[in-house]
Amino acid sequence: MKFNLKKYWVGGLLLILAATVSSGCKKYLDEKNKSNFVKSTYFASSNQAQTFVNGLYNVMYFFQNGDAYGESPFITLELFAGHATSLGQSVNNGNVIHQRTDAVNPGFETVWYNCYKGIANANLAIENIPAISPMDDGLKKKLIGEAYFFRAFFYYHLVRLYGDVPLIVKSQSVNSPDLYPSRTPVADVYKQIIADLQAAEASGMPNTDATGRVSLGAVKTLLASVYLTTAGFPLKQTENYAKAASEIQPVLGWYSLFTDYAYLHDNAHKNQQELIFQINYLVGTQTNAIPQLTIPFNLLVGAYGDHLGAMIPTNQFVASYEAGDLRTQERQFYFSSYPQYGNPSNIIQFGEHALYKYFHVESAAQSGNSDENWTLLRLPEAQLIYAEASNEVNGPTADAYAAVNAIRARAKLAPLSNLTKDTFRQAIWTERYHELAYENKAYFDMQRTHMAYLPQSNTFADPTASQTEQNVTFKAQYYLWPIPQREISTNSKLTQNPGW
Amino acid sequence: MAWPQLRKFILAMKLTAFIILAALTHVSAKSYSQIVTLHQKNTTVEKVLRSIEKQTGYHFMYDKQDVSKAGAINIEVANVSIENALDQCFKDQPLTYKIFDQTIVVKKKDEPVASQIAVAPIKITGTVSDAKGPLPGVTVRVKGSNVGVQTDVNGKYTINAPDANGTLIFTFIGYTTKEVPIGGKSQIDVVLAEEPKALSEVVVVGYGTAKKVDLTGSVGSVGAKQLQERPQTNLEQELSGKIAGVNVSSNSGAPGGATKIRIRGYSSINTNTDPLYVVDGVVWTEGGNAINPNDIETIDVLKDASSTAIYGTRGANGVILVTTKRGKKGGTISYDAYVAVNHMFKEIPVLNSKEFMQVEDISYANIKKYDPTGWAAGDYTDRNPVTQRTALIGKLFDQNLNPLYDVDWQKATTRTSVSQNHNVSFTGGAENVNYGLFLNYADDEGIILNSYLKRYNVRLTVDNQIKPWVKVGATLNYNYQDGRNQDQGTGGNNIPRMLIEMVPFIPVRYPDGTYGKRTDYPNLEGGDNPVAQANEIQSLTRNRIFSGNGYLNLNLLPGLEFRSVLGVTTSANYNPASQSGLVGGPVAGQSYSSASIEEFNRTFWQWQNYFTYNKTFNKVHNVNFVVGAERQNYQQLRLKGSTGTLSDDFYQYYNLSAGIVPNKPESDYDAWQMQSFFGRLNYNYNEKYLLTLTGREDGSSRFGTNKKYGFFPSAAFAWRASQEDFLKDNKTISDLKFRLSYGLTGNSEIGEYRSLANINTVGYAFGGNSAVGTTQTSIGNEDLQWEKTAEYDLGFSLGLFNNRLNIEADAYLKKTKALLLNAPLPETSGFQTVYKNIGKLQNKGLEFTINATPIKTQDFTWNTTFNISFLKNKILQLGASNDDIFLAPTFLSQFNLMRVGLPAGSFYGYKVLGTWGTAEATEAAKYGLLPGDLKIQDTNGDGKVSAADKVVLGKSIPDGYGTFSNNFRYKNVDLGVDLQFNYGNQIMNLTRHSGQDRTGQANSYATVLNAWTPTNQNTSIAEDRPAYVRYQTEIYSTKVESGNFIRGRAVTLGYTFNDNILKKLKLSRLRVYAQAQNLFLITKYTGYDPEVSTYNSSSNFTQGIQFYDYPKPRTFLLGVNVSL
Repeated sequence: MKFNLKKYWVGGLLLILAATVSSGCKKYLDEKNKSNFVKSTYFASSNQAQTFVNGLYNVMYFFQNGDAYGESPFITLELFAGHATSLGQSVNNGNVIHQRTDAVNPGFETVWYNCYKGIANANLAIENIPAISPMDDGLKKKLIGEAYFFRAFFYYHLVRLYGDVPLIVKSQSVNSPDLYPSRTPVADVYKQIIADLQAAEASGMPNTDATGRVSLGAVKTLLASVYLTTAGFPLKQTENYAKAASEIQPVLGWYSLFTDYAYLHDNAHKNQQELIFQINYLVGTQTNAIPQLTIPFNLLVGAYGDHLGAMIPTNQFVASYEAGDLRTQERQFYFSSYPQYGNPSNIIQFGEHALYKYFHVESAAQSGNSDENWTLLRLPEAQLIYAEASNEVNGPTADAYAAVNAIRARAKLAPLSNLTKDTFRQAIWTERYHELAYENKAYFDMQRTHMAYLPQSNTFADPTASQTEQNVTFKAQYYLWPIPQREISTNSKLTQNPGW
Repeated sequence: MAWPQLRKFILAMKLTAFIILAALTHVSAKSYSQIVTLHQKNTTVEKVLRSIEKQTGYHFMYDKQDVSKAGAINIEVANVSIENALDQCFKDQPLTYKIFDQTIVVKKKDEPVASQIAVAPIKITGTVSDAKGPLPGVTVRVKGSNVGVQTDVNGKYTINAPDANGTLIFTFIGYTTKEVPIGGKSQIDVVLAEEPKALSEVVVVGYGTAKKVDLTGSVGSVGAKQLQERPQTNLEQELSGKIAGVNVSSNSGAPGGATKIRIRGYSSINTNTDPLYVVDGVVWTEGGNAINPNDIETIDVLKDASSTAIYGTRGANGVILVTTKRGKKGGTISYDAYVAVNHMFKEIPVLNSKEFMQVEDISYANIKKYDPTGWAAGDYTDRNPVTQRTALIGKLFDQNLNPLYDVDWQKATTRTSVSQNHNVSFTGGAENVNYGLFLNYADDEGIILNSYLKRYNVRLTVDNQIKPWVKVGATLNYNYQDGRNQDQGTGGNNIPRMLIEMVPFIPVRYPDGTYGKRTDYPNLEGGDNPVAQANEIQSLTRNRIFSGNGYLNLNLLPGLEFRSVLGVTTSANYNPASQSGLVGGPVAGQSYSSASIEEFNRTFWQWQNYFTYNKTFNKVHNVNFVVGAERQNYQQLRLKGSTGTLSDDFYQYYNLSAGIVPNKPESDYDAWQMQSFFGRLNYNYNEKYLLTLTGREDGSSRFGTNKKYGFFPSAAFAWRASQEDFLKDNKTISDLKFRLSYGLTGNSEIGEYRSLANINTVGYAFGGNSAVGTTQTSIGNEDLQWEKTAEYDLGFSLGLFNNRLNIEADAYLKKTKALLLNAPLPETSGFQTVYKNIGKLQNKGLEFTINATPIKTQDFTWNTTFNISFLKNKILQLGASNDDIFLAPTFLSQFNLMRVGLPAGSFYGYKVLGTWGTAEATEAAKYGLLPGDLKIQDTNGDGKVSAADKVVLGKSIPDGYGTFSNNFRYKNVDLGVDLQFNYGNQIMNLTRHSGQDRTGQANSYATVLNAWTPTNQNTSIAEDRPAYVRYQTEIYSTKVESGNFIRGRAVTLGYTFNDNILKKLKLSRLRVYAQAQNLFLITKYTGYDPEVSTYNSSSNFTQGIQFYDYPKPRTFLLGVNVSL
C-alpha cells in the first residue's frame, strides 16, 4: 500500500518535472526589456518617429561636454585657431596650443565618434520613417527633412576636420558590408552633404522656429556655409560663391539683430531674432559647463563649482578691435572684472579678458547650473556669408555693404565704404573674426582660406609662415585633425592624415 | 583551527573510516597482537599511548577529559603484547580500552554496578547501528546514573539498568545523542543519526553532498569555527586567506569594505568575474555583506571545472557554497560577541602650512622661467602669493603673513572608532523536529568621521521529518543594513582625497563657526574640507533583504530521493542622500544643496527539482546519480527621485518636494531568466577508483535569439592510492589521493539586453520645455552566446604520519574561449563596441596547502597552516585584429591595457628617467622642455615624446599570494598568528598626479620637497611651478609601485575556561579572546595599504588602481563565546 503510494509520487513528480521542462521553454527565455525599445520593434508609430528625431538633437550636446581639466570640443576648435590661451591644468589643451598634440588626444575621438553616432541615427530615421503608417505626410516629410539636416550637419563637421572620411548612408549592423569602411574623397562627401541639405530644404519646414527645431533658415544658412567652404580650400569650387550668395539671401530677411549683446547669452532670448540655430539646454534636462570652462582660472566669478579658465582670449586679439568698438567694452563680448561670488563688495580683477559672450548671468548668480544655449548659426554669420560670397561674384555691392554695416552699426562702428573687392574681402574676414569670435568659426575659416588673422597688425597671412600670439608657427598638418588613433587601430582600411 | 575542534575532527575521520571499513567487510574484533616495550616513570597516559602508537602503528582514540583524569603512570614492560601493556598501564587508572582492527578506543572505566542502589534492576540488551550498520564503541548510559557500557564491535551491548522506568542515553562522537525510555523492555535496538557536525568531513558540492575522501574535484572548505577566528562583519573578509586559490582583496578600509574575490584568476575580460554565491542551495543575489558570517556552518568553495560544472554557465568563476547553521536536538543558547576599537593605521606625509607656502613662493618665482612671455606681460601680477595673503590678513594670516592655522587633515577627519557585534542563537528540537533562531546586531564604525555600517539580522530555521519518507524544512532570513559611506565619488574632491589635498592653513572652522573652504584662498581649486563633507554630505545605504527558502525531501524508494527547493529573495534597497548648502560651492548657499533617494526593488526566485539515487552493487560498485531541472528568475525595478537647491537644509532627503530645482524622476527595469537541466553520476569502485561525470544544459535570456542554450560537461577521475593493498598498512602515508579533471563551464554575466539593438531615451529641450528623444545605443548581435571556459585540474592530497602532516596540491590550466568581449567597433558605424564572442584568455596556476601539527602534547599543541597560490594570466587573442583594448578606468589617458601575450590588466604609460639637468638644456629643448622638467623616455628615439613611446609599466595581477598561520595552545590558552602575503603585482598610484605632479592648487605629498632645483637635480620630481602655467602629468613609471606585502593580519590570544568552572557557571562553553587585526604591514608601497582599489566596479581589472582610498584601520578587539 505504502509502496504503491510512493510509486504514485515518483510518477507525479516526473510529470511535474516534465511540465517544468516543456512549458513555454522558449518564451521563458525571451529578454524582457520594459524600460527601452529595441530596433526591431521600433518605428511603429508617428509618435516614435517624432521621438527618434528629437534624439538627433541630443547628439549635438557633445560639443560642450567637458571634463574638469577644461577639455571640450568647442574649446579645442578655438585653440586650433590660435587666439586663446588655456590657463588651466589641461595637458591636452597645452599640447594643442603649442602644436605638439597627437592622434591619441581623446578630443579628436570624441568629435569623430559623436558625429558618426548622429549619422547612424539619422540613417536609421531616413530608412525607417517613410514606412510608418498611418502617419501624417506633412509631419513625415518634415521629420525626415530634419534627419537629412543632421546627417549633413555631422558630415560637414567631419569632412572639414578630418578630410576624406568614410561616407556611410545606411544604418549599420554587425554584419554590414561597410562596417570596416575606407575613406571617401572630400568631394563625394560634400556631394552627399549638399544633396541632404537640398532634401531638407524641400521638406516643408517653416522659415524660422522659435522652439529651437531645425528651420528652413537653419538649412539654408548651413547650405550657404557649405557652398562658401567648398569654394575655398581644398576643393576650390569657385562657382559655389554664387550659390552661397543666392542660398543665403532670403534668410537675411527672416531674422533681425538683437539690440543688446547680452541677449546672445541669456535665457529670455533663446532661439529668437538673430539666432538661427542653437543647441538648447534646460536645467532639469541638460546643463553645460560653458561658463565654468570660460571664466578665469580659480577666481570666484559666479556660483560654479569649478572655474577652469580653459579658453581665455589673448590680449592681442581683444586689442585688435577698432577703437570705440562696443563689443570690446566691459561686459559686452568680454569682461575683465566681476564681483566676487558671495562677497560682491570685492571686485575681482582678472588681469585678462574672459568671454562675457559665454557668461551666463542667471546661473552665475544662482545655482551654478548653466543652461545657456550654444549658438551654431546666427544672423551675422549669414550676413557675412552673403557679403563675402557676393563680393567674390560681383565685388562689393550695396547689399553686401548693407549686410556687413548692420553688424558694424550695432558695434557703434562707422560703416564700410569705398572698398575694392580685395579690401572688402579682408574687411569681411576681419568682421567674421571680431563678430563671430570664439564661436568655432575661426579654425574653419583658416581651413578654407589658408589665411590666419594676425591681430597685432590686423592683417591676414599664410598661417604656416607667421606666428600666433603663442609664438607658435602653424604646421601645415594642422589644417586637418588626425584620424583618431583608436579608429586606425580598429579599422586597418583607414589611413592617417599627412604629418600626423 | 582550535585544538579541541581539530581533535574531534580527526577522531571523527578515523572513526568514520573505521566504521565504513567495518560495515563493508564485517571484520571481526580479532586483533593483531603486537609486541611492545615500555619503560616509563611518572608519565601521562597520553605519552604512553603515543609511545605505543609509535611502536605498533595502532591508533588511539580517546576523550581528552577521560584521559586527563588519569594519574601518573609507571610502567616497566618489555616485549609484551599490546593488550598486556595496556592492561598494566590502566590497572590503577579509571580507564579501559577496546581494540578494533588497528584502532584502540580508550574510555573511562564503567562504574561498578554494585555501587548503585538497585531498586528494580533490569538487564537490557540491544544493537546500536547507524544507516550503514552496527556501531561499535557507542556509550550507553542510564540517565541520571553512572551506569554505562560500550557497544562491542558488532554494535551489541548489555547493560544493567537500576530502574525499568529509566531512560537510556546513547552517545557517540559524530552522532546525535539519542535518549530512549526503557519502559520495561529488555531489548532496545537503536539507530543513531550522524550529527550535522559530520559535515566537517562531508562537503557540499552543489545539488548534494559528498564525502571529502570521495571528491574528484578541487573543493576547499572552511568551518564556522575557522571563520570566526578572525571576526569581521563581512563574510568575504573572513574567508580571506583560508583557501588556496581564493584571492580575497579588501580594497578599502570603509565599514563593510570593498571586497573582491577571485577564484583561480580572471577568466573573462568584460563579463563579471565574481564567483557565484549559493546559500543553502539557492543562488544568492544580494552580495556577501548581506550574510551574517556568524550564521555560517560551512563554506565550500568549488574551484575546478569538474566541481563547478554542475552550476554550468555560472560556474566559470568558481562557486561559493554557503551552508548556514540549523537547529539541533538538545537545546543550546549561545552568545558570541566582540567589541573592537579601530584606529588610523598610517598617515601619509603631506606639506604643512609653512611648507605649502614655501612651495607656492618657489612656484610663483619660477613662472618667469616657464612662461617668460606671460610674466613679462604682467599676466601673473595679480596671482602673486604675497598679494593674495596680504588680502587675507586676519582671516588666514597674521600681520607678518604667517599662517594662523596648520591643520593635520588626516587627523582632523578620522577618529578612533568602536565597533561591536552581537550574536545570539537558540537551537533546539524534539525527536523529528528541530529549529534554530539566530539573531545578530553588528555596528561597524569606520575611522572616517560618521561612517558606519550596521546590520540587523534574524534567521529562523525549521526542519521536520514528518514521516519516515518525508522531510520538510525552511529558512527565513531578514536582513537590514544601514550604512553611511564617506568615500563615494572617486575622482572628485571626496573625503579620502581631501585628507591629502586639503590645504593646511585653512581651518576646519573659523571662529564664527563657518567651515573653511579651499576656495577661501585664491588660486586653489574648488573643494570642501573633509570634515565639512563628513558632516554635511550624507550618502546612506539601506538594504532590506527578505529571503525564504523551503525544501521538501522524499525518500521514494530505498536509495532514491527526491528534493525540491524553492528559494525566494526579495530586496528593497534604497539609498537616501543629501547635501546641505554648507558644502559644494565656493561659499555656503542653498543652491549647492541637494537630495535624492534611489531605490532598487528586486525579486529573485529559483526553483529546483532533482532526484538522487544511491546504490551499491556487489559491495564494490557505488553509484550516486543526480538528475534534475531548475528555473531562475530575476527582476529589478529602479526608481530615483532627486532635487537640487533645497529651500532649507532641514528637509534633508525627507521631503524632496522642498527642492526648488527638481530633476526628472527616473526608473528602469532589468530582468533575466534561466532554465537548466543537470545531471551528475558519481561512481566508485571499492572506494579506490572514483569517477564523476557532470553535465548541465543551461538556457539564459541574456543571449541572442538563436543561441540561448549551452551545454557544459565535465569529467573527473580520482585514485585513492592509500586504499590500495600496497599502501594500506603503510605507517607513514595515511592518505594519498590523485585527482584529474576536465570540464567546461560558462559565463553569462554580461548584464541584460546585450544582444539587442537597444533604443534608449535621451532628453532635449524645445522652446524651454523638456522633450524626450530616443537614440540607438547598441548595434546588437543576435549571435551572442556563451563564453566558455575549459579547465584541466591535476591534484593530489597526501596525509602523512597519521595525518599530522597534510599536503594538498593542485595544478590547473584554464582556457576561456569565445570571450564575451566588448570588442571595439569602428566608430564610423555609430557605435564604439559590440559584445561579441571573440578572444581567448588563459589562466594557469598552482595551489599548495600544508596543514601540520608539529607538536602535540597534552598541554602544548602547535598547528600550522601554509597556503600559497601561484597564478599566471595571459591574453591569447582579442578582437578581430588583436588590437589593444583599454578597460576602465581612464585617468589622464587610457592605461589599463589588454594586449595579446600580456597578462590582462597591464599598466601602460611613459617611463620617467628623471629630470632634465642644467647641463642637458639643449637636449631638453629638443623636446620643448627645460631643465627641471621631467625627462621621459623617448622609447622609439624619434626625437619626440608621443603615445608611441609608452611602455608596459606593471600589472595588476599578483604572481602569488597566500597565508601562513600558526596556532599554539598551552593548556587553556591559545595563541593564533595569521600572516598574509602577496607579491608580483604593481600598484597604479594615480594620486601622484594631483599630489605630486602638480603643486599649488591643492596640498601635495611631502615628496615635493624633493623637487628639482638647480642644486637638487638628481630627482624625478619636476621643479615647482604653478600647474596653470605649465606642468607635465601622464601615466608615468613614477606612479607605479610594488604591490608586495606581508601583513600581520591577525594575532589572537584566547582563553577557554575549564569544565569545572563551566559547571559552576552552568555553561557548556566559555571562551574569551583578544585580537589585533592588521597589526603590521611590511611593504614598500607609499600609500595607505597596497591591498587597494578605488575602481572596484569600473572593470574586471582594477586591482591596485588607486586614486585616494579610505585608509585601513588597525583593529583591537575583545570577544567572548558563551554557550549554555
